[in-house]
Order: sequence, then structure tokens, then C-alpha cells
Amino acid sequence: MASKTQFSAGRALIYAFLLIMALLYLTPLYVMIATSFKDIEEIRSGNLLALPQDPTLYAWIKAWSSACTGSECEGLAPFFMNSVKVVVPAVLLSTIIGALNGYVLAKWRFRGSEVLFGMLLFGCFIPFQVVLLPMARLLAELGLANTVTGLVLVHVVYGLAFTTLFFRNFYVSVPTELVKAAQLDGAGFFAIFRHIFLPVSLPIFVVTIIWQFTQIWNDFLFGVVYSGPGTQPITVALNNLVNTSVGGKEYNVDMAAAVIAALPTLLVYIFAGKYFVRGLTAGAVKG
Amino acid sequence: MGALLIDQVTKSFGETQILKGIDIDIQDGEFIILVGPSGCGKSTLMNIIAGLEDATTGRLELAGRDVTDVSPKDRDIAMVFQSYALYPTMNVARNISFGLEMRKVPKEERDRVVQEVATLLQIDHLLDRKPSQLSGGQRQRVAMGRALARSPRVFLFDEPLSNLDAKLRVEMRTEIKKLHKRLGTTIVYVTHDQIEAMTLADRIAVMKDGIVQQLGTPDQIYNDPANMFVAGFMGSPPMNFIEVELENAQAVIESSSERHLLRLPQAESLALQGHSKVILGIRPEMITEPKPEDDPTYLHSIRMDFEVVEPMGADTMAIGHWNGTEVHARLSPKAGLHAGERTEIQVNTALAVIFDKNTGERIR
Repeated sequence: MASKTQFSAGRALIYAFLLIMALLYLTPLYVMIATSFKDIEEIRSGNLLALPQDPTLYAWIKAWSSACTGSECEGLAPFFMNSVKVVVPAVLLSTIIGALNGYVLAKWRFRGSEVLFGMLLFGCFIPFQVVLLPMARLLAELGLANTVTGLVLVHVVYGLAFTTLFFRNFYVSVPTELVKAAQLDGAGFFAIFRHIFLPVSLPIFVVTIIWQFTQIWNDFLFGVVYSGPGTQPITVALNNLVNTSVGGKEYNVDMAAAVIAALPTLLVYIFAGKYFVRGLTAGAVKG
Repeated sequence: MGALLIDQVTKSFGETQILKGIDIDIQDGEFIILVGPSGCGKSTLMNIIAGLEDATTGRLELAGRDVTDVSPKDRDIAMVFQSYALYPTMNVARNISFGLEMRKVPKEERDRVVQEVATLLQIDHLLDRKPSQLSGGQRQRVAMGRALARSPRVFLFDEPLSNLDAKLRVEMRTEIKKLHKRLGTTIVYVTHDQIEAMTLADRIAVMKDGIVQQLGTPDQIYNDPANMFVAGFMGSPPMNFIEVELENAQAVIESSSERHLLRLPQAESLALQGHSKVILGIRPEMITEPKPEDDPTYLHSIRMDFEVVEPMGADTMAIGHWNGTEVHARLSPKAGLHAGERTEIQVNTALAVIFDKNTGERIR
């Protein structure tokens, strides 16, 4: 029995450690949310960690609809919509093209396909900064500078390396004999994709969509470089909002704005997170 | 009319030549088995017949039509895969009818065919199940059903029984044989199991190193092998090979320190060709307890010391030595054999074969 108590003591230590780490990690989030519900007086006088004594939605309403982001004072709402307009088509396009790419690279090997895949992998490691200037040139040539379409294009192109990699690695685990059997059954390239591959693809679609959604929603650099005054995404607007001070700094509005900007990715994780984990490990067991 | 003509087919991957000129003419309704060790090229040949791989050179003819460059779906060929390759997200009925669906056969017709095939294979109660809910034997049947549904001109079977347990394998083997009898379609069947080859085939093509070593009926392959490889591949335990010297065209063997001369049916040609050392091939069932009813011309009475005795129920296998080489004998369990006892046995050389010591080819 001695060993059992010792074991429990070790366990307790581990749990204590984990608890402390979790608290450390969650504290900033707590401070943000708590602060966003306080009024400015309470922030100035009160304790940073205290709960709001008189919770108010003032900061949230202001951040959403009337806070100033530079010279405009319409809150985050229009920029939130800008982000949606970029994220939805960019995520869908990069995922669909990635699925087809992955299908080809996994099951329709051609001369040079391995080299192509290697180069695509390399694409995952190209830092944002490297593509900034050439991409700006390209967008200008195409007449897409400062447009939503331009931003969508940038995110699709940059995301393809990742989405292709995800789908390719998932589809490699689908037995090649299925493709051969379907070929003999008379199915062509797209019929095989539709009837054999798509039906098993839900987990990897979830993974890819979450990944791309998070990446593109949270993107700041491309957003700030390639957008115009009317097409700025929410991350850029958040930055402008925090840096614009009319009178004193309104920490509660800044916090509310930050939470609003982060909310969609948080929600996606909460609702689809279990599919994310399942999808990441799905290929490892059996396709 | 020929069902399938394989004409001088070769296949190379870069420098490596997998198939070195295969010629097989398969008749309508024939059951052909391609057999050989791993890496002999039999699966590659199968894929070339199916159209899943292209031949490097050579020609394929299906019922008189040149199909060398025809895509798999237009070849009128169906295949049963080793892994069954059932579509995991479709139920059994859709798995069977998928080929018809892709060929735009109307729904009522598809349903009729599925029902017919399912009844034939006794899987009609499983039509709504997914492949993951089936046992190995059931999956095997569904895979065959999928091939049958399209009623193709030629069936290809790629080691279809190798994933089943021993008992089920024997059952399915019989089932496939019955099915072939009943439908009379042409079947090309790849296996590395020589018992499957012997029991199922009308003709067997024994392959090694990308070459058909011998193409013939099971009886020809077993009793009249072209070379040592074929002789050694077929039969379990395999044929005994003993290096012997010839004396007056008779094989000299030493067993239990006694010298014997074995009379051979090839005596005449051996004497003419002037060989001195050859390989004697003799099957274990030709070394038995004395059976007086056999033709005495090629019978010899020999004493042997058996080191190992393995009772197998119907027979007893025993292992001794001739000329220092291990020799397997197949005796009746009634012979009352014990390891280590000197035993009087009978050697029948009527079906003994002789191989060239250097090339391994038959000397006839």
C-alpha cells in the first residue's frame, strides 16, 4: 500500500503543476474578459484581477459599432464583415483545390510528381515576408491591389501548400487497390474522387478548414499590406483601434475589441475541435 | 476461339526487366493459373492484362481484338483483388453494382443483377451491410460478386485466398472451382500456393524471373516437369533431388552404407548422351513400403535408415539419406515405421526424372 500512497503523492504534484500552468495560461484571457465588462473608472481605481463590480456592455457596444479606427468611427463591425468576405471564399477555394491536388499527388503519380510535392512542401516554409514584394507587384499587374479578390487570391495561393500536404498525406493511406478496382469498374478520374475519396474525407476536411480559417482570420501582415481603406480585415482594424486615442486610453474597449476579433476562431475550436484531433490522427490508424 | 492472347509481352522498370517475353494463349472458358515465387512477375503480368500497367513491348489480344492500348474500363475484364478492395463507404449492394452504375446501366437492371449475383454467392442477406461489418469470407464473396456483376469476358483473380484462414481457404477454393464449372468463363488466377494451382487449374504457367518456365496441365507440370525449378516448386514435400553417378545408364545410390543401382526409364538416351553425373529427381510417394502389385521393371528393394518419422494421418513422411542427401519418403501409416530403425522399402523409378547437373534442364 505504501507504493500506492507514494503514487498518489506524485499524481497530486503533477496535477498541481498542471493546474498552475493552466491558470497562468488562462489569466490573460480572464483579465481581458473581466476588463471588457468594467467601466473606465473601475479600471483606473480597481484591481486588475478583480471581477467587474458593476458589469456593463458599454465597451462591447462601442468596440462593435462606434470606436474610432483611425479617422473612421464605425467600430469593428464593417471590418468584421471584410474578414468574413475574405475568409469564406479563401478557405473554401484553398481546401477544394488542396483536396484535388492531394488526390493527384497521392494516387496519380506522374513523371516529376515527387519533385513537385517536394517543392510544395518547401512552400510551407517560405516566410510571409519573402513573398510580400513580388506578390504586391503581381496584384498590381492583375489590377487586384487593395481588393477583397486580391486578398482571397493571396491567401489561397499561400494556403495551397498546407492544404495539399494535409490531403495528400490523408489520401496516401487510402489503399491504391481501391483506385484500380474503380478503374476496372469504369470510373474515371473525377468519378473515383467523388465516389471513393470524398466519402471518406470528412475528418481531413474539418482539419483543413479549421487550419485555414484560423490562419486567414488571424492574418495581419497580408491584411495590412494588400488591403485598401475599404477592405481592411478585422486584425488590421483592431490594431488601428488600439492605436487611435481620443482622449484617454479606453482599456475596456480595447479588450472587448480584441475578444471580438478572436471570437470566431475560438468558436470554431469549441465546436469542431474534437473533429480536429480525430482528423489529425485518422490517417495513423486506418483510412 | 482464343479468349486472351499474350504475345511476347515484356516489362521493364528502368534497367530492371520484370517480364522477359511472355507468350500465353488462353482458350475460351479455360482456367489458367500463374504460379511462382514472390518477385517472379506474375502480379505484374496480371496488371498488364487488366490494363493497370502498360507493357513495355508486346501485344495483348482479347477475343481477337487488339487491346494493348485500350484503357482498363474498355477491356471487358474484371478483377478480384488480394485485399478485396471493397469500397468502404458503400454497402454490399452498391459495391456490386458500382461497375454497372459507372456504365450507366438503368437502376432496375442493376437491382436485378445484384439480386442474381447475391443469390448465386449466398450473400443476399448481407446487401445492406458495409464491408467493415463482414467477415473475411463474406468480403471475398462480395469481391467476387462485384466481378461477376459485369459478366466480363475474362476474370482476373490476384491471390484471392491468401488473406483467409486455412479452413476457409479450402472452402473458397472449392467454391471458385464450382463457380467456374457453372459459369464457364475464362479465368486467369495468380497464386503462389502450389496446391491452389494443382487443384484449380486447367493449365498452369509456372513463372520464375520473368519467364514462363513451363505451361501445361497440372498432370504435365507434376509428372513431366521441364526443369528442376518446376519440379521443386510443385508438390509438398517437394521432389527429392539426388546427385548421382551413372553406371551403365543406371543411377548409383548409397543407402545405409549399401550400394544400389537404379534402373531408369531414360536409360537409352542417357547412354547415348554420355553423361556421367546427373541429378535424379524422384517424388516422395515413389519411395514407399513394398507394394507387390506395381510393375516390377522399375522396382527396387532398398534398406534405409530413417532419422525422422512424421505421421500425418493419411500418410507418414520419413526422412533418410541417399548419397549424403536428405531424401523424403511417403509411406502408409500401417508400415509401422520408427525413427532410427533400418527399414526395407520399395523405390519405383518409373516416373523418375533426370536433370542436367549444370543447367537444371530435363534430360529426356
